[in-house]
Amino acid sequence: MIATATKDRLIKLQPLIALFVMCLAISILSDKFLTVNNGWNILRQISVNICISVGMTLVILTRGIDLSVGSILAFAGAVGAGLLKFGIDVPSENVNIGFTLLGAIIAAIVVGGALGWFNGFAITRFKAPAFVVTLAMLTMARGFTMLYTEGFPINGLGDHFGFIGTGWFLGVPFPVWITAVVVLLAVFLTNKTPLGRYIYAIGGNENAALLSGINTKRVKMIVYTLSGITAAIGGLMVTSRLDSAQPNAGLSYELDAIAAVVIGGTSLSGGKGSIWGTVLGAVIIGVLNNGLVLLNVSPFWQQVVKGAVILLAVIMDKTNKE
Amino acid sequence: MKLSSTKVFLLVLALALGCKQQEDKNSGPKKMAVIISTLNNPWFVFLGERAAAKAQELGYEAKIFDSQNNTALEADHFDNVIVSGFDAVLFNPTDADGSVVNVKKAKEAGIPVFCMDREINSLNAATSQILSDSYSGSIAVGAYFAQQLNKKGNYVELLGLVGDNNTWARSNGFHSVVDNYPELKMVAQQNADFDRNKALEVMESIIQSNPNIQGVFCGNDAMAMGAYQALVGAGIADSVKVFGFDGADDVVSAIQEGKITATGMQFPNVMAERAAIFADEYIRGKRDFAQKIPVAVELVTAENVENYAAYGE
Repeated sequence: MIATATKDRLIKLQPLIALFVMCLAISILSDKFLTVNNGWNILRQISVNICISVGMTLVILTRGIDLSVGSILAFAGAVGAGLLKFGIDVPSENVNIGFTLLGAIIAAIVVGGALGWFNGFAITRFKAPAFVVTLAMLTMARGFTMLYTEGFPINGLGDHFGFIGTGWFLGVPFPVWITAVVVLLAVFLTNKTPLGRYIYAIGGNENAALLSGINTKRVKMIVYTLSGITAAIGGLMVTSRLDSAQPNAGLSYELDAIAAVVIGGTSLSGGKGSIWGTVLGAVIIGVLNNGLVLLNVSPFWQQVVKGAVILLAVIMDKTNKE
Repeated sequence: MKLSSTKVFLLVLALALGCKQQEDKNSGPKKMAVIISTLNNPWFVFLGERAAAKAQELGYEAKIFDSQNNTALEADHFDNVIVSGFDAVLFNPTDADGSVVNVKKAKEAGIPVFCMDREINSLNAATSQILSDSYSGSIAVGAYFAQQLNKKGNYVELLGLVGDNNTWARSNGFHSVVDNYPELKMVAQQNADFDRNKALEVMESIIQSNPNIQGVFCGNDAMAMGAYQALVGAGIADSVKVFGFDGADDVVSAIQEGKITATGMQFPNVMAERAAIFADEYIRGKRDFAQKIPVAVELVTAENVENYAAYGE
């Protein structure tokens, strides 16, 4: 018993050990890595990915997948920026409805949540595979973004909006605060609430969960809605950082998010994993991205290295289970 | 939901009628197809819209097709264009080699193709190619770069997509000048995929390992804006000169404000309009067109920026 318990603990620590080894290696090769500035850099850069990955973790825990997060991020960001800058024109009444900063932020989050809710609705109502439904949403939301922006970036959003992505609060970058709040809420949700237990139960065995009286449809709808909301928060952060809503923002972010979840030890077959693991996974990806650039590694090799790390994580996960 | 046989029959009938209608359209106004490599980038959106607008101005119906950087999808567009009887194609290829076969297919069907901005590696497929001279343009940017940095110092290069022709045309043109000055040292060369956010993040990391830099050359303007934001964040924007390529609106105003040093201005409107005019002339009977028509890329700096607006308009 004691032996297995120790082994379990070691397996849980595996990503942490990997991160430590990586940091050690990079800091030996580059004296610029272990500096306070670079630390803030990495944290600011991974804030968006962590935010999306938290939503993705909840989805994957229910044995689902959400491929639409990158597109939802772009659409929510564009809506936020567009409402803030232009408002809504109502030609028939000849008025323009302006939006305050808070109004635009709330609208962006509502849009993200609504698209996520629609994912959940289509998946539960029509028993459609999540992979296909969210793939369709990936395409549609990108199309909505193009329609809304007409293919051009929305620039010049002002300093107040810029604070979300570039500001500092109590000596810490503001996006890091936002992400910390998102992470803590998600940790609380998964560990301390009935909803959290239901999410794990559905991923473990959906039929058993259904038979034990859990409203599995409702739980799934909530999970996909939350994933849409975290993507929208990510979208606001990206848009604010760039002071520009780019129509092609968030391309292939879903893959980075899935990679973070998997490296963090959450099983793609659902029911097993944690938010903290995902945060660790995102940090590993962020450190890797940063380290490869610090060491001026050729762009061709960077892609090979990143792919290899993901592969290694999955292989380690598999061998642990056997 | 079960489909009854009646419904299926009606559906087939409707489709057949729909197709019939399309064929009849051949007798209506002449049509030009605008096939664009990607609409995921404002520069190409502008190119496509200008081409379509000019075609309409000349009295044609115009339809824009988005190839999504996918040569196979582009081949499908060409098939559709040939079947639905378009009279000319204003074409922005996805790939210099891969697109050749698509253009030849249209040529065999008797539809003239006019390439815009990007070239194809064949001299007897397209009727004419109106091309942005990226290589010469980046030589001009490179020369100004060397002059602005007094031919010495450390610099960073941000590449676009490492698999893209334009990425290397711009990089090679730039280096053909800058590499002649041994005291100009490239301390980092990284790709940022023509993307503003990626450029910001990559530049932030580069600054950590190379705080002592004097210049940044970026393969497009989106990356130049991203790099500039990273320099602002690190508090060294005043001492580092940033160079872009494209002539996007935010960079033109950034040059006016002294934030960006220079960019290579391309003229998508000139290329798009000339392609539409050529197609019109072809349909009216003209046959002798120059195979390649280079459209110069002009250097925009603080000294001449007042003469320019976004995309040379």
